[in-house]
Amino acid sequence: MRILLIEDDPLIGDGLKIGLEKLGFSVDWFTDGAEGEEALLQTPYAAVILDLGLPKKDGLEILQDWRRQNKNEPVLILTARGDVDQRIAGLNSGADDYLGKPFALKEVQARLNALIRRSGGQAAAVIKYKDIEFNPQTRKVLQNGKEIVLAPKELALLELLLLNKNRVLSKEVIENKIYSWDEEVSSNAVEVHIHHLRKKLGKDVVKTVNKIGYILEDA
Amino acid sequence: MKKLSLRLRLIVYFMVISCVVWLGAGVFSWLETKEKVDEFFDTYQMALARQMAGADWSGLSAGAQKITDKMLKHVHNAEEEDEAIGFAIFDRNGQMVFHDNENGKGFGFLPAEGSFIRQIVDGDDAWRIVWLRSADGKFYIAVGQEEEYRAEVVWDMAEEFMLPWALGLLVLLIMIIGILTREFRPLRGLAENLQKRGSGDLSPLDDKNIPSEILPLVKAMNMQLSRIEGMIAGERRFVADAAHELRTPLTALQVQLELAEMSGDDEKMRAEALTKLQKGIERSARLVEQLLVLSKVDTSLGVYDEAKGLIDWKQILADLKADYASLAEEKEIEIKANVSGFGPVEQGSPLLWGLVLRNLLDNALKYSPQGANIKIEITDGALQVFNSGVSVEEGALAHLSERFFRPAGQKVSGSGLGLSIVRRVAESSACKVCFENADGGFRVRVFKEE
Repeated sequence: MRILLIEDDPLIGDGLKIGLEKLGFSVDWFTDGAEGEEALLQTPYAAVILDLGLPKKDGLEILQDWRRQNKNEPVLILTARGDVDQRIAGLNSGADDYLGKPFALKEVQARLNALIRRSGGQAAAVIKYKDIEFNPQTRKVLQNGKEIVLAPKELALLELLLLNKNRVLSKEVIENKIYSWDEEVSSNAVEVHIHHLRKKLGKDVVKTVNKIGYILEDA
Repeated sequence: MKKLSLRLRLIVYFMVISCVVWLGAGVFSWLETKEKVDEFFDTYQMALARQMAGADWSGLSAGAQKITDKMLKHVHNAEEEDEAIGFAIFDRNGQMVFHDNENGKGFGFLPAEGSFIRQIVDGDDAWRIVWLRSADGKFYIAVGQEEEYRAEVVWDMAEEFMLPWALGLLVLLIMIIGILTREFRPLRGLAENLQKRGSGDLSPLDDKNIPSEILPLVKAMNMQLSRIEGMIAGERRFVADAAHELRTPLTALQVQLELAEMSGDDEKMRAEALTKLQKGIERSARLVEQLLVLSKVDTSLGVYDEAKGLIDWKQILADLKADYASLAEEKEIEIKANVSGFGPVEQGSPLLWGLVLRNLLDNALKYSPQGANIKIEITDGALQVFNSGVSVEEGALAHLSERFFRPAGQKVSGSGLGLSIVRRVAESSACKVCFENADGGFRVRVFKEE
């Protein structure tokens, strides 16, 4: 899942980027408000992590502008202020959740997963499709109760398809959603991942819609 | 008396003083009355004696006594008041020839012509007796009055004065107690207010109905209360700010620690996380250190004041250069220093001003690019530090010395406290700090305000 991270503190930003990528997310990290805001307008993200004290443009302002432009991506705000007022202001400005500093990476991951799941209309923590079970928090896939080992990008692709059941996803959308800007994408990367998924989970798992893209269809 | 309330003390003093005055007045009026009464009775006695002396007593015989006795008895019965007057007539030999058949009977013969004497009559009664010789010179006339009677008259008269006085005194005392109690009520209310309030309640005391003698005290207390309130609010803000500022470095530590934990077999990732963790710890330690310095500068400027003197800038510079030699070398920065005066203040705390220069040099070194140069100039009335190659956004210049302020998008780690320490020290010595972008660099000037 591709995440937009806007955080000006170098140590926190760097830590979140490396950590979340290790946990299976693709992360685009910006340190100033103006660039970060622009990024969301350009690229579809599964979720946004937004620090409130930002240079150039304040986090709350960015959030309000996005919402005004009908940007509905789930937003998790990070705040150093412990007071309730600021949290309320954040939620009222259109944030979906907040985390007070100091926080743990694991908590960021759990909240992101919950936000992404719910934005895809999925309330249960484990996503099920036919005989496949996927747990976004542990990043484990079970088929008929047996664990199937998938590479990180294969997992991201599977998660994306599971969250967009019955919807055709084009190759470009998939690339945009599972790769960050600093990752190099070969022209046939998506095809390769689809191939691997079919090999590991069964031929029928992903259906190809000619010249449009890929779909996970309910039987 | 020491621990009694002012009100009680006033009441006691007043009671004692009124009683003494009352007693004094009583004694005085008794003496005065006695004198008047004596004068009156003496005149009366003398007049009686003169009249008797003027009479012709030559025909006085034994029979006369009997007739007179009857007559006198009649007179005595008729008179309502016995003025305890007695008389007796003696012949030249001291033989009593006539008396009033009552008190005069007991008079002894002690002729003292024309004057009053005190005589004991019938063994125990003191009498005041006037002696006169009769006109023909053959008889001595003695007219006397019992002293006890006179004393009774004096006492009766004095009593008539003193009783209403005593009653008046009582009314006065009750009124004074009432008035004092009423007038002291606002003070008691004040004390109760102070006693009852909790340690955190610093609201001002009510100064309505406070007498003008106490008002300055109440006002001073209110001022002190508001100063304390301001101080506590400042401390609270400081602690809140500090806690807030510590959250960010703590988050960085937490996240980097988790990265190190989850790195697994990835040695490179672990090494990087640990390096960053180390950096984060250094940053936190520096922040804590700066916070401590700032709170010390804030609260104990008075303590450092004692160590005022001429500041040895050369020594301070030498120490600083030694401390920052490695950093300067690493960044290939040349530090030029020129001391041509006593600095911003003639007399100052070397410790605090050393701290000022340290913070300014530290900033200059940290934010200067590779190969920049730093110039420190100390003249009479000013101190300035210039570093080339950097500039601060104009909008941020005014906020530089605010606590925890850091211009946006800083890559260099810092607490945002250094310049606020500089400003705090400068202001405590009536100096100003100004920041400017000039000559292709950034300059901080600390100077005495004219």
